[in-house]
Amino acid sequence: MRKMLAAVSRVLSGASQKPGQIFEAYNMAALWKLPCIFICENNRYGMGTSVERAAASTDYYKRGDFIPGLRVDGMDILCVREATRFAAAYCRSGKGPILMELQTYRYHGHSMSDPGVSYRTREEIQEVRSKSDPIMLLKDRMVNSNLASVEELKEIDVEVRKEIEDAAQFATADPEPPLEELGYHIYSSDPPFEVRGANQWIKFKSVS
Amino acid sequence: MNLFQSVTSALDNSLAKDPTAVIFGEDVAFGGVFRCTVGLRDKYGKDRVFNTPLCEQGIVGFGIGIAVTGATAIAEIQFADYIFPAFDQIVNEAAKYRYRSGDLFNCGSLTIRSPWGCVGHGALYHSQSPEAFFAHCPGIKVVIPRSPFQAKGLLLSCIEDKNPCIFFEPKILYRAAAEEVPIEPYNIPLSQAEVIQEGSDVTLVAWGTQVHVIREVASMAKEKLGVSCEVIDLRTIIPWDVDTICKSVIKTGRLLISHEAPLTGGFASEISSTVQEECFLNLEAPISRVCGYDTPFPHIFEPFYIPDKWKCYDALRKMINY
Repeated sequence: MRKMLAAVSRVLSGASQKPGQIFEAYNMAALWKLPCIFICENNRYGMGTSVERAAASTDYYKRGDFIPGLRVDGMDILCVREATRFAAAYCRSGKGPILMELQTYRYHGHSMSDPGVSYRTREEIQEVRSKSDPIMLLKDRMVNSNLASVEELKEIDVEVRKEIEDAAQFATADPEPPLEELGYHIYSSDPPFEVRGANQWIKFKSVS
Repeated sequence: MNLFQSVTSALDNSLAKDPTAVIFGEDVAFGGVFRCTVGLRDKYGKDRVFNTPLCEQGIVGFGIGIAVTGATAIAEIQFADYIFPAFDQIVNEAAKYRYRSGDLFNCGSLTIRSPWGCVGHGALYHSQSPEAFFAHCPGIKVVIPRSPFQAKGLLLSCIEDKNPCIFFEPKILYRAAAEEVPIEPYNIPLSQAEVIQEGSDVTLVAWGTQVHVIREVASMAKEKLGVSCEVIDLRTIIPWDVDTICKSVIKTGRLLISHEAPLTGGFASEISSTVQEECFLNLEAPISRVCGYDTPFPHIFEPFYIPDKWKCYDALRKMINY
């Protein structure tokens, strides 16, 4: 039996243009018993609207209706792993689709123009960060079970920080791509296809 | 063959040649409401020709998914009037797939077929010509044939094209139009307009069913006014063949564009605007657009609504006498 697994991901914050479409997808997946895991990353906010103010039912794992659903603590890494394992096995056994709601949190605002505190309290953010941060939870678990020492983990921290610094450096120092690339890959075309710009004398080549 | 048979032939060729090709949509399994898929399920099996639930955005979304894996997806939307629920999928997903991923991913092997245009009794929701909505969307191709021979060649080109394509089939021509069509596969290039009749005084441009109307107008003009018309079938709405149209207008100096879709924002406005940019000094008269009225497609008023040969002839006469 083909072990094909299709995972459909729907991120809660911002993908709200597509709620109707997800129900059509649920319908087709269940009708045809497609091996598909529907993943809902519930970070509790859609831009600035909390789920309580946006959804008639916040039990997203139940919204698959005729598709079974799991609610998973998205902040616990091992929990996510085991739940995914379960969901994958479920799909692979030919039982059809399954829905996984991962409960997580968004620390920062939705975008650079969203401070993230006009629709929630700083205390709420702090509480999640101090009590439920996934990396912190895993770190504690590893240290308490003697799987790693605090020093070893600090080393990893340093390495990660360096990697991010280097990446940020690269990103800020890297030159902007040439203007011609604006038109690339609109179509797959051979020979390159000409795209009109903001006025009739500007043309870009859509290379692909 | 008539038009629906030429479509069946094209689909048959595709499924035979391409083992990944699948056809799906509402009611395609028994042959389709216009008989375009008759016999295909028996020939190729229920894994390759199958029905979907009644959900256009699901159909197109599903088709995009298939195309992304590399298989050839041929989706049918039962009437072009129902394509709007799938608009988000087409415009925001299909059209932008390649561009947004920098060519890492694409859904180029998707083709959406849909019956299009007036049919005499279709009323508001079985007669629409929505090509203008999609013309505004870079990343997809929109193609409309005028005849069975054109339909098969253009449809095969759409299916084989590495970009998502929408193929609108003039439903009034499904049975009414018949001509000799080869059984073997053949391609007609996309983005190439066809000059089906050469002339020197006026350029007439249309697509789909309307091409036959303007052809008749051309012979009326010849007979009654001694005017020689160049008749062009645009064939691909986007990306459209600017060069052929402009070359013709430079020769004739007059342009008339006609389509069933409403006047305001219809595709004739795009052609008109571009032609006046490119050929301003060659124009002898303002560009004329003979289109449907700015109303929803009417039921009993259909004969008054459509841009028939008399309206086109009248507009042509005004242009000649300008």
